[in-house]
Amino acid sequence: MNFDLSDEQRQLAAAAADFFTSAASPGAARASLDTGAPIEPGRKAMADTGFAAITIPESAGGGGGSVLDLAVVAEQAGRVLAGPSLVTAARAAVLLEDDADRLPALADGSAAYAVIEETGGPVLDATTADRFLALRDGALVAGGGSITERAPIDATRGLADVTLDDAEVVAKDGVARWERALQVGQVVLGAEGLGTASKALELGVDYAKQRVAFGRQIGSYQAIKHALVDAFVGVEQLRSLVWWAAWTAEESPAELPLAAAAVKGMAAVVLEKAAETLVQVHGGIGFTWEHDAHLYWRRAKVDRFLLGDDVEAFDTVARLAIAGAAK
Amino acid sequence: MDFDDTPEEAAYRAKVRDYIAAHRGELMSVSEGGRRAVDLDAAKQHQSLMYDGGLVGVTWPKEYGGQGGTQMQQAIVNQEVAKAGLAGFIGVIGLGMCGPTVIAHGSDDQKSRYLGRLLRGEDVWCQLFSEPASGSDLAALRTKAVKTDSGSWRVNGQKVWTTLAHVSDYGILLARTDPDVAKHRGLTMFVVDMHAPGVTVRPLRQMSGVAEFNEVFFDDVEIPDEERLGEVGDGWRVALTTLMSERLSLGGGGTDVGTGLDAAAAHVAKRIGELPETRQALVRQEFGRQYAASLATRYTGYRQLSAISKGAMPGPEASAGKLAGTKTGRALADLGVRLLGDEAVYAITAEGDGRWQNSQAGLPGMAIAGGTDEILRNVLGERVLGLPPEPRADKGMSFNDSLRIGASE
Ligand SMILES: Cc1cc2nc3c(=O)[nH]c(=O)nc-3n(C[C@H](O)[C@H](O)[C@H](O)COP(=O)(O)OP(=O)(O)OC[C@H]3O[C@@H](n4cnc5c(N)ncnc54)[C@H](O)[C@@H]3O)c2cc1C
Repeated sequence: MNFDLSDEQRQLAAAAADFFTSAASPGAARASLDTGAPIEPGRKAMADTGFAAITIPESAGGGGGSVLDLAVVAEQAGRVLAGPSLVTAARAAVLLEDDADRLPALADGSAAYAVIEETGGPVLDATTADRFLALRDGALVAGGGSITERAPIDATRGLADVTLDDAEVVAKDGVARWERALQVGQVVLGAEGLGTASKALELGVDYAKQRVAFGRQIGSYQAIKHALVDAFVGVEQLRSLVWWAAWTAEESPAELPLAAAAVKGMAAVVLEKAAETLVQVHGGIGFTWEHDAHLYWRRAKVDRFLLGDDVEAFDTVARLAIAGAAK
Repeated sequence: MDFDDTPEEAAYRAKVRDYIAAHRGELMSVSEGGRRAVDLDAAKQHQSLMYDGGLVGVTWPKEYGGQGGTQMQQAIVNQEVAKAGLAGFIGVIGLGMCGPTVIAHGSDDQKSRYLGRLLRGEDVWCQLFSEPASGSDLAALRTKAVKTDSGSWRVNGQKVWTTLAHVSDYGILLARTDPDVAKHRGLTMFVVDMHAPGVTVRPLRQMSGVAEFNEVFFDDVEIPDEERLGEVGDGWRVALTTLMSERLSLGGGGTDVGTGLDAAAAHVAKRIGELPETRQALVRQEFGRQYAASLATRYTGYRQLSAISKGAMPGPEASAGKLAGTKTGRALADLGVRLLGDEAVYAITAEGDGRWQNSQAGLPGMAIAGGTDEILRNVLGERVLGLPPEPRADKGMSFNDSLRIGASE
């Protein structure tokens, strides 16, 4: 057994950290919310670095990497609230995997896709998209769309209502790849959530070491310390689940449906806990618009509903586990 | 990244499996029914038979009768033992805590006298650390060891919550040899003969109903100086070896806490159909949450195991696994009990299944033994997150002076 990242994956994470910390920030997330400033790093930079195309085969101009490679990068994107989401990139890469025309355009960033959920509803990264993928009567279709922007809670997620126009069929039988794309998307969403939660935790810990009340650093009070530790335990548990689930995508596909649902659900819970703790540990300053805490909190409050909510995810975990045991 | 056995690990696993299968009839099983007291002879027999197969003391050095194997091999044994539903070892405390402490700090004479018998299950050992006035704050212990004119030590005091003391032949005893220095400094570790005059063991019944731990009284118990473990005044450092070994033996390694995830899934699968739809949804919600959390603990254990197999020692972060595992283990036990329906209020079902009730009553002990949940949170907060410690009222005081805190009001 060797349940650890490889040296190459660690290098990839370091390179991703360099890029994302210079190209995106909570400040940029606040500006998007305040003034509608562009989401950073944005589609072009994500395509130029190749990070958005990691899971696309080299033959189509992508990186030829694994979902685990992408997860390692997504964690770094999550730390700085980067957008658009690598979830969208990963999903589109699965959906278009055998489309010789569309896949290279996805890889080089000349087409900006977003994915419309099967049940309709808000579309992740719609505000920066010009092409949409959807499932219609079992067929995978692609087309342009009319976008209705709404007041966002987290502007970096680029959510909007979309109606699909002039859709063409990409694949007649799209159900299997649709499912797989959703599951891979859930894993990548969990990886972004892991990054967001661990950064939120670090900010909380830093503040707890500095702030003094009643003559002591607040981090010496157990109510604060233990809340931060609970967030830490959650982050480390989630990290194990994200790595494993990402690994199953290529190495053990039969386990992917359960693993993806487990990650989706647990990421929602862990991120929410970490973000709420971040706000609480900061006291009044944590409740201000100027402070970054609420930007992590916003991410948490929105992410929990993306690609299904945590309640649905845990229901799926249970159904699959029960079915497995009944065999 | 991979989760497969290496060829060597696979060969080792096959060997372990074969041995267990070949002797399955003579080996003890975990009890599925009500909790019962240990059958000492049978338990010793069980350990001895496992020892003959090389499945006891896997990581212990060969020179002391161990197998000189790796932590990964120990984990493989643990997994196969769990899979086969075998009972744990009567030597659990000796193997996990006392033996490693003797190996690290004992004299050659102590090692040759004690370790082989401990491994084979001929002697049972216990760990005499906690006292009525010192559990979490272990270094505040009061049991006194005073040097006599003949050079031996005379011990007076009381220990408590001592697992297996009632069947033990030896114990490692942490005692205060100097009350005039700071509490951590004045301690010394000894090996004590549990059959020596002046040692009195009284079983205490646990909330789960069985008597597995005890209180132990020492009245003028004489311990030869040769039975000291480590230097005089160095007991705290010696105790840290013990606690570190405890971390290794409790440290997850990918085995489930409590009744186990597969058993839980089978139980839910069997029972859920009997419930109305609305209830089924609630059961799935709770089961899904705990299933995901248990997988996360399992894979966190694998991460730790991978690190150990590359030579890392488990640090304080291993406590995160115990915290998370205890939490989800308790929640699964609770769900397991609920699913028994009308039977959930009885200690054992009409069909003779008491696993969920046993877990329900036993797992609160996991949140206390080996560091309470609160102490583990302090350790993680201070040693891993680097948060400042709490102020300590007894800081810089000698042990004797610290006894006056809270005494005057
Ligand atoms: C099943 C079982 C088996 C055991 N076996 C053994 C054994 O073989 N040998 C042995 O020596 N001991 C054994 N113990 C004892 C165990 O190590 C102690 O119970 C444990 O360390 C807690 O100490 P205590 O019981 O004195 O509780 P206390 O330390 O008095 O704690 C009481 C409560 O206060 C909390 N608390 C204490 N200090 C702090 C703090 N600084 N911050 C926040 N909260 C705090 C604790 O978390 C707990 O909730 C066993 C215990 C159990 C339950």
